[in-house]
Amino acid sequence: MKSALTVFKEQINSFYLIRRLSLYELKSNNKNNYLGMLWEVLNPGIQLAIYWFVFGYGLRTAGQGRSDVENVPFFAWLLAGMVVWFFINPAVTQASKSVYTRIKMLSKMSFPMSAIPSYVIMSKFYPHLYLTAISIVILNFMGQTINIYYLQLPYFMFSVIAVVIAISLITSTLSTIVRDVQMVVQSIMRMLLYMTPILWNMEDLLNDRLITIMKLNPFYYIVEGYRSALLGQGWYFIEHFQYTLYFWALVLVMFAFGSFIHVKFRRHFVDFL
Amino acid sequence: MSKSVIVKNVSKKYKLYNKPSERILDMISPKSYGEDFYGLRDVSFEADAGDIIGFVGVNGSGKSTLANILAGIIPETSGEVEVRGKTALIAVSAGLNNQLTGRENIELKCLMLGFSKKEIKEVEPDIIEFSELGKFIDQPVKSYSSGMKSRLGFSISVHIDPDILIIDEALSVGDKAFAEKSLEKMNEFKARGKTMFFVSHSIGQMKKFCEKILWLEYGEVKEFGTVKEVIPKYEQFFKEYKAMSKAEKKKFRENAMRKQSGLEPMSTS
Repeated sequence: MKSALTVFKEQINSFYLIRRLSLYELKSNNKNNYLGMLWEVLNPGIQLAIYWFVFGYGLRTAGQGRSDVENVPFFAWLLAGMVVWFFINPAVTQASKSVYTRIKMLSKMSFPMSAIPSYVIMSKFYPHLYLTAISIVILNFMGQTINIYYLQLPYFMFSVIAVVIAISLITSTLSTIVRDVQMVVQSIMRMLLYMTPILWNMEDLLNDRLITIMKLNPFYYIVEGYRSALLGQGWYFIEHFQYTLYFWALVLVMFAFGSFIHVKFRRHFVDFL
Repeated sequence: MSKSVIVKNVSKKYKLYNKPSERILDMISPKSYGEDFYGLRDVSFEADAGDIIGFVGVNGSGKSTLANILAGIIPETSGEVEVRGKTALIAVSAGLNNQLTGRENIELKCLMLGFSKKEIKEVEPDIIEFSELGKFIDQPVKSYSSGMKSRLGFSISVHIDPDILIIDEALSVGDKAFAEKSLEKMNEFKARGKTMFFVSHSIGQMKKFCEKILWLEYGEVKEFGTVKEVIPKYEQFFKEYKAMSKAEKKKFRENAMRKQSGLEPMSTS
């Protein structure tokens, strides 16, 4: 618990640095491409198009695919849930390897090591803001007009950052010690794309018990929350307040555990290279 | 005079694993796996503020390990290191981001060292001027030659105004003019009473610049004293070492290996 407080304080104190460093991070990632930062939007766009083609168009004409979900066109439904996945996926995988790929360069710096995953996550958050804005424009054109429930978006943005930071504290430490963890993280993330109600609406197709199991995945909460906001379906975090409680309890537990192992091992990270 | 660095019984143990599985086993089981290897063993010395200390020794004697421990980059396994003040390690292309330009690297590095935006704007022109990179400053660092990289690294490190400067072979890549300029800069630091550590294979540079010499052998301190005392002995040793036949050299290295594995008791020098 003490280490959780330490890490929490470090995050707050180095907030300015996290913000500045994340901009450099973003820059150095896109330096080599002629289109530069545009790829941060183009890439998700291409992926979205192919998922829509397969799940929304291809399977549908075969007679069993997705049609409208709760009176929302499939594409709008897909977009509203997928937009946050384009943040979660790169943020988790990049943040997990952030420590061991950067430690050589960063080890003697006047800022705490726990800020490394955070600034990598932050660097993924800017494109996410753009993507969300673009999605909102598209959704408005599709008839999912702006509504009062948008107000819960900042809350879910905060929640997704919190859960990703908590997870990455654990994975970045473990993957520095045992490099294979990075592979595990990548596989799990690939799996979670299908285990989270992004591409298909689980609540239609699975029974209640399975749904409850699926809901253990914290990203379920995030994706459904985004969807509620963007499609104007209700105050998700209030209507499902028990789920909200579970989500934050899980975040706290992961954060405490992540901080504990991070603080325990950080002095020796260099030795594991 | 006040002490600026106190190193007490510092050892650095590395583990050599033959298989990746040994690494995991060593981590989770109480039993020890893998071979020990001492990069440094029971090193103690003290530096006064304003001292300029050179580290000498043959390859693999632990000079760079010690420099890295002083800079706080790698942790020591046991012993105590007390460093009073801000340190800066200058090594070839240390800590530069290859994707970013030289200018962005300057900003990034200063930022990470806790400079404010205003302070960065102030030192940036000086750093660029000193590095002599000209218009290359706006090119990505990956296109730099090793000399350019070390020039940039050097000028960043000297402009952040450290109290303790650790220079690890960095001057051997620049050309003569730059080496001279750097020496001048270091003399300036010397005049201002900063502590400096100097790792180099050039005995000439050591003689010209250092006041004290720490001679490392097999990761242990062989000798520590003024340049006048230690350098002649080291030169003598080095001449002998060079004159050794292949078999003798091999024996010397094997001897070193055995000692550094912790199998043999420490020499009492």
